Amino acid sequence: MSRNKIAIFGYGNHGKFIAKGLAADGFDITIVESDKDFYEDAQTNGFTNVLFADVTKDSELKKMNLESFTQLVCVMDDEHLNVFLTLSLRSLFKDSYILSISDSLNVTKKLQMAGANKVIDLYEVSANKIYNLLDRPIATKLLEEFVHNRGGITFKEMVIPKYSFLDGKMAENVDFSSYGVLLIGMIDEELGHTFVFVTAGIAHKLDSGDTIVCLGEKEKLDAFENLIKKKEI
Amino acid sequence: MKELLLSFALFLHRSPKYKAAKQFAKDILFDANNTYKRYFDLTIIFLVISSVLILIYEVKNPVPLWLDNYDIYVVSFIFAVEYLLRLWVHNDLSEMMIKEYNDAKFLGREFNLYTVFKKGISEKLKYMVTPSAIVDLLAILPAYRPLRILRVFILFRVFKLLRYTKSINQFVDVLVNKKFELLTLLFLLLFIVFTSGIAIYILEADKNSNIHTLFDGIYWAIVTISTVGYGDISPVTDVGRAISILIIVSGIAMISFVTSVIVSAFSERLNELKEYRIIEQMNKSKSFMIICGYGQMTKMFFRQQREPLEHYVIMDTDPTRVEAAKKDGYVAIHEDASSHKTLSRFDAEYCDVTILCLTSSDVENIYITLNAKSISKSIKVIARVNDPETIDKFKYAGADEVLLPNLVANTMIYTAIRQPTMYKAIHAILTGKSIANIDEIHVHASHAMVGKQIEDLDFSSSKLLFMGIQRRGKFIFNPPKTELIETFDVLLVMGRKISLEYFKSQHEGDIHVKK
Repeated sequence: MSRNKIAIFGYGNHGKFIAKGLAADGFDITIVESDKDFYEDAQTNGFTNVLFADVTKDSELKKMNLESFTQLVCVMDDEHLNVFLTLSLRSLFKDSYILSISDSLNVTKKLQMAGANKVIDLYEVSANKIYNLLDRPIATKLLEEFVHNRGGITFKEMVIPKYSFLDGKMAENVDFSSYGVLLIGMIDEELGHTFVFVTAGIAHKLDSGDTIVCLGEKEKLDAFENLIKKKEI
Repeated sequence: MKELLLSFALFLHRSPKYKAAKQFAKDILFDANNTYKRYFDLTIIFLVISSVLILIYEVKNPVPLWLDNYDIYVVSFIFAVEYLLRLWVHNDLSEMMIKEYNDAKFLGREFNLYTVFKKGISEKLKYMVTPSAIVDLLAILPAYRPLRILRVFILFRVFKLLRYTKSINQFVDVLVNKKFELLTLLFLLLFIVFTSGIAIYILEADKNSNIHTLFDGIYWAIVTISTVGYGDISPVTDVGRAISILIIVSGIAMISFVTSVIVSAFSERLNELKEYRIIEQMNKSKSFMIICGYGQMTKMFFRQQREPLEHYVIMDTDPTRVEAAKKDGYVAIHEDASSHKTLSRFDAEYCDVTILCLTSSDVENIYITLNAKSISKSIKVIARVNDPETIDKFKYAGADEVLLPNLVANTMIYTAIRQPTMYKAIHAILTGKSIANIDEIHVHASHAMVGKQIEDLDFSSSKLLFMGIQRRGKFIFNPPKTELIETFDVLLVMGRKISLEYFKSQHEGDIHVKK
């Protein structure tokens, strides 16, 4: 599935973790490294698609056929290299989705200017977590459990298939909780490709092709995903 | 005699009442957290002020007898009691006696009362000659009527107030620090004053109609050297005037020197004094936060604040970073949070203290954590960890929460790749975008909500999504609609801020939403 083809630049502090997690989830990943040690490290850890290349050279990047990847993830340990890489990737591949990591405010700005689609600021997310821990400790912990699927409850995205019984119904008229799941929000294709929370107070009509995000136990979610394929219940 | 005193000492030593009384006296005199100390202090201040007012009134008007009696007996009596109390609690004679007796028995030497008393009384005497004790003593003296001159000593009662002003103590502290410079100058000053005073006396005593005694000469020298120059005494001979010129010039030099010494002493201590004030201020608030280190993480933390943080202080060991923090408009002090002395200045017993260890060094953070926990277990510590291998050490040191910036970021990236839609949702929830707040509603003991069914609470009409209940450490997800709310439940709800506020207001006085 081409949707899951991802290139990770850098197998350092961040790359290692991300590659491991994504590989376990069955993503098709390719690791690109310019450091010999990290390159060998990636190979010994069992990754097959590992490329050794000097990422500062455009000619080497061009050879990699990066257009076919859905996401290019720049997580090099060296921030200067990371910014440079983001810039080269953007100039070479206009339509690719580029995600970069930043470790300071200034770098975040530079990465955005360099054309990264999403920049995750190391300290921003951590500082945010501290703030949340202080402000609402229980909610934060629970939310984290949901994300990591630790307490058995997790989030799931599902696309409403054609001829589903949900198709054409108003969101507030469907009692999700009776199926053991909660509707958190959805991407309504009619309203443009933005995520809308159920609590936003807008009346939603569910259509086939919309993506809904639900919260619940894994089994219930899977059961629900199967259920919505049915026309009638 | 010896036995009698010893048995009396033993009796006192064993009496719980005596000990309690002494402790109470100590608390009321010295313990700033004692509730009665406030009233005691206020009484003393009132007595001082009233007695000084009477003194002023008395100068031109006759004073009624009862007021006079109040001044002599009540005020002086209370001051005398206070003085004796302070003397009493200063050290413990009976305990010293018993200790000496035990030592003597142990060593097999003869028990000697004399050494005990000598030591004990010399300690009391040492206390008696401290400035504050002398002031206390002088404040009692006006009670002795036959000597009218002692009335002036009422002014010493004003000095008693100094005990309650910290700024004076700090001022004295600063001066004490510059003792050497100030003493040198003082000796030089005395030398000039005396030589020129004697000189003017010898030269002009029979020519100048204003100089009669040596005291006049010295008085003139001081008035001149200080550049005050009343002009009541002035030299009449040429030699006398030459001496004046010399004193005036040296006086100007010396005064500017003294001023500069004091000013520099203050500017050296100014930061310290300011920091002292900040810490005092913090200890007065109910809960506050100490943030260690002013780096990327701390800056980001402040950017996350939706409303300005009220009680906090940033600490850093690097003066340039402290300056940077101050420039950015934050309260920051240059202190080492890993030192016991620094953290123990904060009142962890009476306030809720949260410490954020956000320095970039794991060693530093662990040290601060340990330091905080050694001062009080009740201090909440949230520590930043850089090396995953040190997490166990942090847990062992007692950190309440640990946080790995790398791990948090990695998880975020991972989630962003794996489930992009969900990432948006979570990110919005975490950053508290107005449409998606997850909040906790803490149910209290005496609460109308207790015993109600979830259905009755009608979350959907206030556009809230009810997610579950945290009950006794367990999370119940999506409980059945008939589930009853129990005391101390924490309800997890999601919704816009206004929906949450509205829901709260509907249950006004009943629900307490933790802020």
